[in-house]
Order: sequence, then structure tokens, then C-alpha cells
Amino acid sequence: MCPLNFGYSVSEVKVIDLNQEKPVWLKKIFKLEPSLYRCISCGNCAAICTAGHFTEMKFYRLCLNAFRGQTSELKNNAKACILCGKCQFACPRGVNIRHAIMLITQIQQP
Amino acid sequence: MQQPTVNIIGAGPAGLNAAISLAKLEIKVNLFEKQDKPGGHLSHWHSLFPNMYDAKTLLKSTINNIKHPNIKLYTSKNIKQIKRQNNQWTISSDQNQEYTSDAVIITSGFNLFDATKKEEYGYGIYPQVITSLELEQMFNKRSKWPFSEEIEAPKAGFVHCVGSRDTKCGNNWCSKVCCVKAVKQAIEFKKLFPKAEVNCFYMDLRMFGKGYEELYMKAQVDYNIQFVRGRLSEASPANGNKVNIKAEDTLMNRPLKQNLDMLVLMVGMTPAILLNKQSEHIDFVKPKFQQGFITPVDNYQSIISQDTPGVFAAGTCKGPASLIDVIQDAKATAFEVLEYLKKEKEKKAEILEKFNMICAH
Ligand code: SF4
Ligand code: SF4
Ligand code: SF4
Repeated sequence: MCPLNFGYSVSEVKVIDLNQEKPVWLKKIFKLEPSLYRCISCGNCAAICTAGHFTEMKFYRLCLNAFRGQTSELKNNAKACILCGKCQFACPRGVNIRHAIMLITQIQQP
Repeated sequence: MQQPTVNIIGAGPAGLNAAISLAKLEIKVNLFEKQDKPGGHLSHWHSLFPNMYDAKTLLKSTINNIKHPNIKLYTSKNIKQIKRQNNQWTISSDQNQEYTSDAVIITSGFNLFDATKKEEYGYGIYPQVITSLELEQMFNKRSKWPFSEEIEAPKAGFVHCVGSRDTKCGNNWCSKVCCVKAVKQAIEFKKLFPKAEVNCFYMDLRMFGKGYEELYMKAQVDYNIQFVRGRLSEASPANGNKVNIKAEDTLMNRPLKQNLDMLVLMVGMTPAILLNKQSEHIDFVKPKFQQGFITPVDNYQSIISQDTPGVFAAGTCKGPASLIDVIQDAKATAFEVLEYLKKEKEKKAEILEKFNMICAH
């Protein structure tokens, strides 16, 4: 136990450290679905998302987390998607969202 | 009647293009430049957005065009004042030489923001921190990279809006071209270092011009350049000849850090001069906090004030603008000057006619 209690705790984990090398499996996803690079975080995919009405599913956040190398929740969050494809109709940048989600859920992560 | 003369102050893209247009309209032009060569900021560029057009080619062809019998170029002339005499304007340089003309176009351009003013970025202290101008010089091979040649995959960051959209610096405006310039430079850098990792730190991405948004998408898709929304808070030295940067990733709602081999500050445009307007003369003085860019009588004309007929302004001395906008503005201003000269001539003819009539009676 810490002898002093400041009433809050400090955690390094909050900081996004871009110095950390991205895992190979994540790099592979970008390679297999390069349209991910087109995303501009406009949020249309989330606004229209079927699963998003009931879950935390927001595709653009998956995309952002992937680009920042934040992978801990990636697979779990992607699982909420029901692959209805509505987001793909709505996306102004032509991101192949369903394929990206399938890659995230199916690719082998160590 | 005598061929009318126009004095143009500043031989950057605006001054050069206005001079060429007027010369073609059979108007005599005296073109004054502070530096020893014409070209202004264009002479520092390597390639131009959005088509990566070679800047030197454009500069050369423009300078070639001013070799016209109607244009006289005066270099190393710093203009301090213009004076009204009868219906003409006399400009005087700091060497006390005087040149009289029927109209004046001010094309004095802009200054780049002095990056040392944003102390938190450590410009001038950490060698890894450079300005967008210096990066352009590196593309031109006029200076060396700020990192070792052995680094094959350099990590680079671009900071948008340095000295723009910042009330602390007194610069509330958006400098308009730095967003797309950062995109252009990031692409150019990636072409030279395909393994590089490049992040652009932006507040808003303002891709207003033709082909800009397309270039931005190209940067993302073909060059995998990352765009992080958030203003850099500071740069500090890090191990291994790097700088550590901190920013808030506002889309992720989390702070972010990274060690970089090169940090490029997208320095904005600031006024080069401030006009001190008196009834019979206009003095060119040093810009004051939040002041300097010339505001014409309205947004659709280039005449600077109703009280100073015959004095026009074109290009970035009126505020940030892209090169394309500057060239078009210069040409449009030349036409406005022509109209003014025509009207003046008609007025003179009318007066002469009246005079003759009175004498005849
Ligand atoms: S495909 Fe998935 S992410 Fe897209 S709208 Fe449907 S449920 Fe949402
Ligand atoms: S709709 Fe397309 S561009 Fe917009 S956030 Fe979703 S994936 Fe990105
Ligand atoms: S063009 Fe972009 S980088 Fe330049 S001041 Fe405007 S928003 Fe900032």
C-alpha cells in the first residue's frame, strides 16, 4: 500500500505512446484492408450502425484505436457488429468496413 | 497623351504578375524589390501543391516574362513612403530616390511567423525542430536533414497552425495554405524516405482549394500519413538525438507522446508592413500586434481607400492567400488599375475641354 493517499491515482496507461511498435497482426490488417487509411473519423458509420443502438459498437473508434496501436479492446468491440453493411453504404470515404471488422475479429492475435 | 506609369512595390508573385499584365496593356511599370532578386517567397519553394509542380520552373518563366520593354525592375530598394503630388504618387526609397507614377500597387507580401515566439516548441534550441521553410530548403538540397543519414525510417511530425489561429501571438487568422502545404511536404518526405513514419498534428484540416482534399486523401491512402487532431503542447529533448512531443489526441480523448527525429513547424503568414495613412502620404511602418494586413475598401476591389485614389494592393499583403489566388488577384488588380487610369484620363480631357470653352468665350 502506498503510504500517502492523494485521493487519486496516476496511471501511465492513459498516455498513448506512439513510440511503441505496432503488433505484426495489426500491421497485417492495414495491409489486407488499406481502405482503412481513408477514414476521417466523421462518425457516419457509428450514427447509422444497427449494433450501435444497443452496444458500444462504433466503427470509427475501432479504426482510431487501431491506428494509435491501442489493441486491447479491439477484437472484443468488433464482435458486436452484425455485419449488416449499413455503415458501408453511408461511409463518404469508401472504407470497406465489413471486411475490416471481419479481419479484426478473425485474425490470429497472440 | 503620355504613356501612364504604375509603380509596383514588391516583386513577389503578386508584383511580378501585376507588372506583366500591365505591361501587356501598354502601361509602363516600375517594379521595386527589397531583396537583390525578384521572386519573393516563391524562390524558397521546391514543389508546389496540389500538383507537385516544380517551383523553379514557374519562377523562371515568370521572371522571364518581366523582361518586357514596358517593365523596369529595381532591386535592393526598400520603400518607406509614398507621397501624393497633384494627381500622382511619388514613392521614395530609403536611399532617398524618388519615382513618380499615376498609380501604385502595393504587393509587399507577407513575413513568415517567427517560430522562436512559440517557445514551447523549442525552435532554435533543438536542432530537430525546423520550420516548413527550412524543410523546403532541404528538399531543394540547400541544407541537410536534421537527423543522421543512417536513419532509414525517420519519425517525423508536422505541427499545423504555428503562429496562426492563435490570439496569444496576435494572429487570429488562418494562414490558409499551411494545411495543404503540410500534406504536400509530408508526401514529399515520404517519397524520399518510404519507411518514414509521419504524423500531422492539426486543429482543423482546411483543404479549401481545388485538388487539396484529393491530395489529403492521397497522403492517407498512398503514403499512410497519419493525422492526429490536437495541438502540440510542447517539445522537449529526448534520448538519441530526438525530441519528445506531447499532445492531446482529442478524438481519442487521451494524451499522446512520441519521440521524433524531425519536427516541422508549419509557420503561418504575418503582415510584412503596416500602412500609416495620412491625407497626403502613406508611410510603410513595422506591423503592430494584431495589425498589418491591408484592408481594401471592400472585398471585391483592390483600391485601399477612398481617400487615396490610385493606390491599390494585391496578393498576400491583404491577408493569407494561396499562390493561385495571388496570381489571379494580381491580374484582376491590373485590370482595376487600367480602369482607374482610363477614368483619370477622361477626367483630364473633360477639364481641358471646359478650360478651352472658357477661353473661347
Ligand atoms: S456492418 Fe456492423 S458496424 Fe456496420 S452498421 Fe452494421 S452492425 Fe454497424
Ligand atoms: S463513415 Fe467512413 S470515414 Fe466516416 S468515420 Fe466511419 S469509416 Fe470513417
Ligand atoms: S491552413 Fe491549416 S495549418 Fe494553416 S492556419 Fe489554417 S488551419 Fe492552421
